[in-house]
Amino acid sequence: MVTIRNLYIASIKEFVRDRAAIFWTFAFPLVFIVLFGVIFNGGGSPNYTVGIVNEDGGPVGQALASAFKQVSSFKVQNGSRSDELDKLKKGQVDMVVVIPAGVSQSVTQQQTATVDLYDDPSTGQADTQIKQSIVQAKVSEFNKRATNTVPPLALQSNSILTHQVRSVDFLVPGILAMALMQLGLFGTATPLVTLRQEQVLRRLGATPLPRWQLLASQVLMRLTIALVQTGLILALSVWAFKVQIQGSILAVLALVILGAIAFISLGYLVAAISKTVDTANGITSVVNFPMMFLSGIFFPLAALPLFLTPIVRALPLTYLGDALRQIVTGGTPVFPMWVDLAVLAAWAFVCALLAVRLFKWE
Amino acid sequence: MGNDSWAIAAEDLRKYYGQTKAVDGITLRVKEGEIFGMLGPNGAGKSTTIEMIEGLRAPDSGTITVLGLRQPQESRAIKMRIGIQLQTTALYPRLTVTEILDLFHTFYRGRKTLPTDQLIEMVDLGEKRTTRSKELSGGQRQRLSVALALVNDADLVFLDEPTTGMDPQARRQLWDVIRNLQQQGKTILLTTHYLEEAEQLCDRVAIVDHGRIIEMGSPSELVHRYFSEIAISFSDPAGADPYRSLDGVTHVSVEDGRVTLYSSDVLHTMGGLLGRQNGGGVGTALRDLNVHSATLEDVFLKLTGRALRD
Repeated sequence: MVTIRNLYIASIKEFVRDRAAIFWTFAFPLVFIVLFGVIFNGGGSPNYTVGIVNEDGGPVGQALASAFKQVSSFKVQNGSRSDELDKLKKGQVDMVVVIPAGVSQSVTQQQTATVDLYDDPSTGQADTQIKQSIVQAKVSEFNKRATNTVPPLALQSNSILTHQVRSVDFLVPGILAMALMQLGLFGTATPLVTLRQEQVLRRLGATPLPRWQLLASQVLMRLTIALVQTGLILALSVWAFKVQIQGSILAVLALVILGAIAFISLGYLVAAISKTVDTANGITSVVNFPMMFLSGIFFPLAALPLFLTPIVRALPLTYLGDALRQIVTGGTPVFPMWVDLAVLAAWAFVCALLAVRLFKWE
Repeated sequence: MGNDSWAIAAEDLRKYYGQTKAVDGITLRVKEGEIFGMLGPNGAGKSTTIEMIEGLRAPDSGTITVLGLRQPQESRAIKMRIGIQLQTTALYPRLTVTEILDLFHTFYRGRKTLPTDQLIEMVDLGEKRTTRSKELSGGQRQRLSVALALVNDADLVFLDEPTTGMDPQARRQLWDVIRNLQQQGKTILLTTHYLEEAEQLCDRVAIVDHGRIIEMGSPSELVHRYFSEIAISFSDPAGADPYRSLDGVTHVSVEDGRVTLYSSDVLHTMGGLLGRQNGGGVGTALRDLNVHSATLEDVFLKLTGRALRD
């Protein structure tokens, strides 16, 4: 244990004294959060202009329309269907909600009525899910009250959502996932190949040091970095953007560790198949790029074209992002949690197995 | 003498890389307490041989016993007792001299190690103890690398071109360190392409070329075996031919316009040489005339037909 501890301390020192490494692991994700947070949030909660078309003359339509009016992030304007849809096309409103004629009647007759939602996903894809989920929440809240209370018209909706989904809430888990992935790729593969290329591994191999102890110290060191990254990212999000962390800290940490192990294993695999630092850099970039944009870490997966679905589903980052979003900010699941965990564990296992088989120390 | 009583006993080592026969049947025995040198040009197979003995490279065939332990079966026990300095010095770039030495101590658990301060003193890196390894000069890094080979107070120390990149003063200082190790009863196997180093330090040398040992013995033994003569060397762009017939000349060699005559009768040879010079019969002028006993350099030249240069 003393040997592992000393190797661990040595590798932490190596890392801390490498300014470039510090920047890419710690500063880079934080810059991302600040950048996206400010762009999408304007520093506060998002504001959407919503056109409400109330074609229902009855009380239910009225109640719904006023319920939307009370959503703090919605700026509501009323108009005819054609006017509002026209404005949506011109980008003057972000979304149109149409309450068709006869809703009140349907509700009183215990029949399901439909509320139509029009959205232009090309304008702000990250926002689409947020807007929709707010409307969704509103409608289901309405439904709940409608089925429980005798007069659905008595709706007095002041409370909105216990937890309001905003852009930054969507982004923070995504950026955390990105940071863990990049720790595994750039923070593992390249340094490891450098150690091999500069024959540090060879020199260590000339001592009685067992290899597993070196490996253990390196993995522990990277897990430490992952936890520090997580701490910094979440602290900044809570402090600067008032992100509320929904899940327990323990669950977040456990998931971060699982995710980090999966990507560190991937990093070891890349190091195993790369002869030179240049190859390692090339492979990590090739792996990094699709994950950044096809794993739904910056925008909802629903915004991606369908033909990309097989790729999306093949990327481990998709599952880490989804799981983190569920736990950290209580986001809508894309996959059940157990699927996310199982896929990450499988990636970790397979990559580690291949890395152990293929890794060359010299 | 059985293999157990040698510090190193390597039998018929072979290592081929495709068509290249890096090591082509080397047999080597090193006595305990001896400084043994492997001498040869770059690419002769010295490093490959030493690394096979250390257990860092597996031979294609051959057997190796180190300190009575067999490679590769007892490799870990061997590594515990030997000190290795690799030709390419590889270290943690951002750790300081002291930190790296301290770290290496922990790899030899259960064995007495030398204190870091003493090691730093031995290789004279006192002023650099808090310097990060990547900021060291080539020679300083080389000295740190030697210090790392001494961390575990090894019984057998391998030094692969230990003084490459060092200035003459540092080189002499390291020679003192190596002699001192020998006085402590340690065995040293070193490779070098500095003939002077081999002559100064080694009890015995093996001359290696093209993956084979072409001659082995103490430096003076080798010189006497090949040269009972005195070497007379000078520059003459015209070559050696005019001098072959001089009295006492047994052998002639030319290297880069420098003529070396090996003479069994130095007085007559010199007389003839100077007589011709005065008569203006040969050559232009005897520039840089040098008369000396033969050295390992001469042996090497004679054996391989090539000079061994830095």
